[in-house]
Amino acid sequence: MKMLAIASNTYREAIRDKIMYVLLFFAGATILASKALGYISVGQDMKIIMDISLAAISLFGALIAIFVGTNLVYKEVDKRTIYTILSRPIHRYEFILGKYLGLAFLILTVTAIMAVFSAGYIMTMGGEISFMYVEAVVLIYFKLLLVTAFSVLMSSVASPILGAIVVISTYLAGHATGILVDLPPHFDGTFLKAAMEFTYHLLPNLSNFDIWQEYANGVAVPHSYVLWTMTYGLIYTTVLLFIASIAFQDKDV
Amino acid sequence: MSAIEIKQLTKVYRTHFGLKAKPTLDSLDLTIEDNEVFGFLGKNGAGKTTTIKILCGLIKQTRGSATIHGQSVRDRESRSQIGYLPENPYFYEYLTPKETIQFYGKLEEQSPKERARQWGYLSELLDLRSIADQRVRGFSKGMRQRLGFAVALVSNPSVLILDEPMSGLDPMGRHRIRDIILRMRSEKKTVFFSSHILGDVEQICDRVGMLVDGKLRTQGSLSELLSRKVDKVELIARSLSESTHKEIENLAIQIRTSGEGVHFYLENMDTANEAARKVYEGSGELLEMTPIKETLEDFFVREQNPQEVEA
Repeated sequence: MKMLAIASNTYREAIRDKIMYVLLFFAGATILASKALGYISVGQDMKIIMDISLAAISLFGALIAIFVGTNLVYKEVDKRTIYTILSRPIHRYEFILGKYLGLAFLILTVTAIMAVFSAGYIMTMGGEISFMYVEAVVLIYFKLLLVTAFSVLMSSVASPILGAIVVISTYLAGHATGILVDLPPHFDGTFLKAAMEFTYHLLPNLSNFDIWQEYANGVAVPHSYVLWTMTYGLIYTTVLLFIASIAFQDKDV
Repeated sequence: MSAIEIKQLTKVYRTHFGLKAKPTLDSLDLTIEDNEVFGFLGKNGAGKTTTIKILCGLIKQTRGSATIHGQSVRDRESRSQIGYLPENPYFYEYLTPKETIQFYGKLEEQSPKERARQWGYLSELLDLRSIADQRVRGFSKGMRQRLGFAVALVSNPSVLILDEPMSGLDPMGRHRIRDIILRMRSEKKTVFFSSHILGDVEQICDRVGMLVDGKLRTQGSLSELLSRKVDKVELIARSLSESTHKEIENLAIQIRTSGEGVHFYLENMDTANEAARKVYEGSGELLEMTPIKETLEDFFVREQNPQEVEA
């Protein structure tokens, strides 16, 4: 109940964040502008609309998660609203998880709004919405859950600017982890190779969550892949929230 | 069992490079008994807020221990016994007082019925009814302080910890907070509060403690701490002849004139009586003769800077 009280309050607070509306506006504009890019690619217009629409949901959802998330705990400390909360018989992890749940619910709302808008646009343009579209959106949401958890972790230990830089860097690196293990053969056995492999395993492989290109190209993705990726996302998210709770446990506020 | 027991409490904040700085709080020993109103005094930066934050579980002490009714402040359950009012309390700006009280009630796992009952009691006690549905954004300092007090009382705690509850309030606001603190004492609660408004502290505290540079300089009841001897005597007179005025002036250690008359400050009661006799003999009008004893403010200044005062 304590966690839910914090979650619902966080949702009410985050939904007032102006940056979210700015990003939602740009997401909508990008989805609508995908038609223009479709004109450039002769005969590929529907594919481009589907591809860009889902990419916009993923990108702007991530930006909302990062910019709202990295402020989440920090703002409570900075505005001192945290004093009257943590001075009650509440576990600090309940506070962190409550904040996270509130934002996760906000991200769900935002993702649903963008997905419905995008689906409506695709159908208006003559495209079809299959079950794979839903799967692609669900995987995007699971990726956003992971990004949100990392943002909340950074928010509990660092300032919003530093937190946003770290999360954005990790987000970009997480989409390009393949490069890390794709070194030329003459690096075999070197420290650099070992360091790169370690980083590869440490970073979340965010490109796993992106199946929108397959959807746009009509390539089937097994349901088991979707389930495994969701599980991977949940495990990673749980670990990040665990670290956030530990980091916040003895922090002076 | 004491309401609050602090033993050798020390807090050292680390600098950015991990180096230890000077202790903000240094080996503090303090005991607050049940149903006591305790005033915690000290200049800015003396360590009052640090002590309060440790008691409320917001920061961790470097050394020493503190307990609330025998339970360590590191134990989450100890916080079910306290109500905390931070200095300049901040709340979620988009909530109304009623929603704020509901929110904190939920954090205390109160049932909807309990929350409604608490709102009824607190809105009455702190006069929140008229602003029940206004957003906290735009509230005056006094309104925020009343709401802060209500939030501190949501769980009906046995120990109230108040950080500068009267700071920034107008006389009416301070009067209201004083009344509430006294009412809490009559309800058998313990009140531990820091304040700069020494006149208020003097009126409502059973005991006070004073921190100087993170160390407890002194503690005790006001009668124990304040020098009860007459510091000087103030005599106010008017319609004095020039010669009488001159004679009394020779006896006085200090003199000033106001619209009321001439204020003579005399060293002791004997000199004051002699001066009064001169007023009568010179057919002057004696308006007032008041022995002046040491106030908490005098004591505060004396304890903060003993050498300066002596000089």
